[in-house]
Amino acid sequence: MNGGDSMASNTNGTSVAPTADTVSDVEATEHCALRDAWLLRNATAEALLRAEEHVRRLVERADVAALIALVEAFSPARSPGPEWTRSFEPLVERLWAWCDSERMAALEAEFRARGLPWMAVANDLAPERGAELRARLRQPAWACFPAFTIG
Amino acid sequence: MAGGTVSIDRLKEEITGAQYREAAETFCRLIVEEGQPLRNVVHSAVSAAAPFVQVPSHLMKKSDGEMRGVNYDHTILGWRGALKLTPHLSRERSLLPTVQAMWYAPQGLNIWEQIICEFPGHYARDSEKCNLKYPGEDPDVDRFDGPAWSPPKLHFEDHEPIRTASVDEGIGRLLNAISEGDRAEAYGLFLGLAEDPGNRERLKEAILFAGIIDLQDTLINRGGYQNIGHKALRARALVDIADYFGWDNAHEIIYTVVPDLGCSPRLYGLWTEISNVAKVELSQLGPIPKRSHAPLTERELDQLTHTLLWGGPYEVNAIISTLLRRGTGLLDVTDGIAVAYQRYLMDVLEHPGAFSHPMHSFDYLNVVNHWLRTYDNPHQVKAVYMAARFVNDAFRANAMSPRDPKVELPPRSEYRPYADKVAIDRLLPVLQEAILAQDAPRACALADSYLDRTAERKDLLETITFAACHWQNDPHVMRNCISSIEEWTANRTSRRDDIIRGYVKHQSRYIKRAKVHECLDLYGQHFFR
Repeated sequence: MNGGDSMASNTNGTSVAPTADTVSDVEATEHCALRDAWLLRNATAEALLRAEEHVRRLVERADVAALIALVEAFSPARSPGPEWTRSFEPLVERLWAWCDSERMAALEAEFRARGLPWMAVANDLAPERGAELRARLRQPAWACFPAFTIG
Repeated sequence: MAGGTVSIDRLKEEITGAQYREAAETFCRLIVEEGQPLRNVVHSAVSAAAPFVQVPSHLMKKSDGEMRGVNYDHTILGWRGALKLTPHLSRERSLLPTVQAMWYAPQGLNIWEQIICEFPGHYARDSEKCNLKYPGEDPDVDRFDGPAWSPPKLHFEDHEPIRTASVDEGIGRLLNAISEGDRAEAYGLFLGLAEDPGNRERLKEAILFAGIIDLQDTLINRGGYQNIGHKALRARALVDIADYFGWDNAHEIIYTVVPDLGCSPRLYGLWTEISNVAKVELSQLGPIPKRSHAPLTERELDQLTHTLLWGGPYEVNAIISTLLRRGTGLLDVTDGIAVAYQRYLMDVLEHPGAFSHPMHSFDYLNVVNHWLRTYDNPHQVKAVYMAARFVNDAFRANAMSPRDPKVELPPRSEYRPYADKVAIDRLLPVLQEAILAQDAPRACALADSYLDRTAERKDLLETITFAACHWQNDPHVMRNCISSIEEWTANRTSRRDDIIRGYVKHQSRYIKRAKVHECLDLYGQHFFR
């Protein structure tokens, strides 16, 4: 008898506790599902780590013009949507982790000069924000990456 | 304090002359010194403003060919919010929102001329900064703070009633005239229909319907081509204020509101989309109840919240369809939207300037809920989608700009140990101070602590409302206060207190139009004696 039949045959409009057989079926399914979920998580983490490594190499090599072009893609007029724009904060963490201070200063100067519409971006590129983020991202020595925001 | 004899005529002159300080003082004196009934004085103030709150269009073509949005009249939204707040405040505080509405009204006339710097008021003074462009002789005086140097412009004449053979014909023509933009026909028909007391309930339902279905599909990159729910908000103001004045005395409030419902732009794109979605998804379901025996589960509330905060428009459509097909009632779902909205206020929103569009979506939801709770209409299910879409879109529109780290807030939880140490009988005054100091994390922690320690809510709501109404020049405050109170009162989810948490966050963080409390001081002089 499956769990659904058992429930139906025992109720008069109220639920009853599942039988011992049902419990073991449910537990077995949950164990399997948990293992699969963790497997999937590990695969995703591996893919993400490789993507982060790829981004790191590109960011470290990028010149100021390329970085400006990337940041410009977060203007409301160019953004493909909120999901893209929401990734600006994770990007800023990585810029501060992987770009030297000279390029970051050039980036800030560029967007500060553009005035009010770019104020929030310029503030993210300011040295005091950089110091704060770099401190926040610091990890133990054994960690592969700084404590980046994932989402 | 200004002297001289006060009169209704003097009040009307001060209103049309954009002399807001003088008008507010006269208003107070008429009530306190002359013993005039509040209803009469408010009616006179609304009547004085009525001819001057219309605009030719809510889109203005500029000389360079660009289009810009023209703001909607907010005077009536202030009055409506204020009058509805009166019973929620103690006697000595109860008229503060109404005096704030009076303080604002002369600043909100003739909007079309204000935005081109030809008439004083808060748009000309604050948004357009006209005095920088066109200063007067004295550089220390902002001439766009009033008084007016010419009468306000009349953009829409008063009209005679249009009478029809039947109420069905009249309402059908009214809705058609609004959607086609025939303002004179719509206004005349409304006046004609409103003459018969037997028509008025149907008329109220119909005008709310007309306002609710006129809503932008998105705010993202639309500039002025949107209405952020103002057609619905105005319709609600008409219904409530006409009830307050009495419908035999409602001509001026009808004049204030109805022509504007037909004003351009009229936006039916979202309504059309939702009509198609509802036809496909729900046509086999039969009538959907207002309330069901199967309201949203906690998991469904979580899913709805996640979708509204982080999903896209079609995901929003899908979850609303799923909930309705599962058997939930219309108000069960809108209750869920109301509490989901609060999580955005509580956890995401930081910049004081970013509250405006979400706030309008919540106030629109409040109009939808009032319509659902009070009237019947076979199209009501579509309004549930409309409200959810507006809320989601307002969040998405904010998310199109990167957040500014300069306005980052510490988490409210940091202040919880502090809040828990405040004695419960001292907590509300401390909360009021935190709201007045615009210290959002502290105010939110105090509210969290209070909500956990006591079941008392009335005094808590009054404290938040009274603190909120300290600030002048902004009728959004009164409107949002009453939306929050009404939705908290009606909400049946386990999370209804989140509406209070969101209310505190809003009122302790939302951008202020003035830092000074002159209107509060004026109120104190007259009503705290």
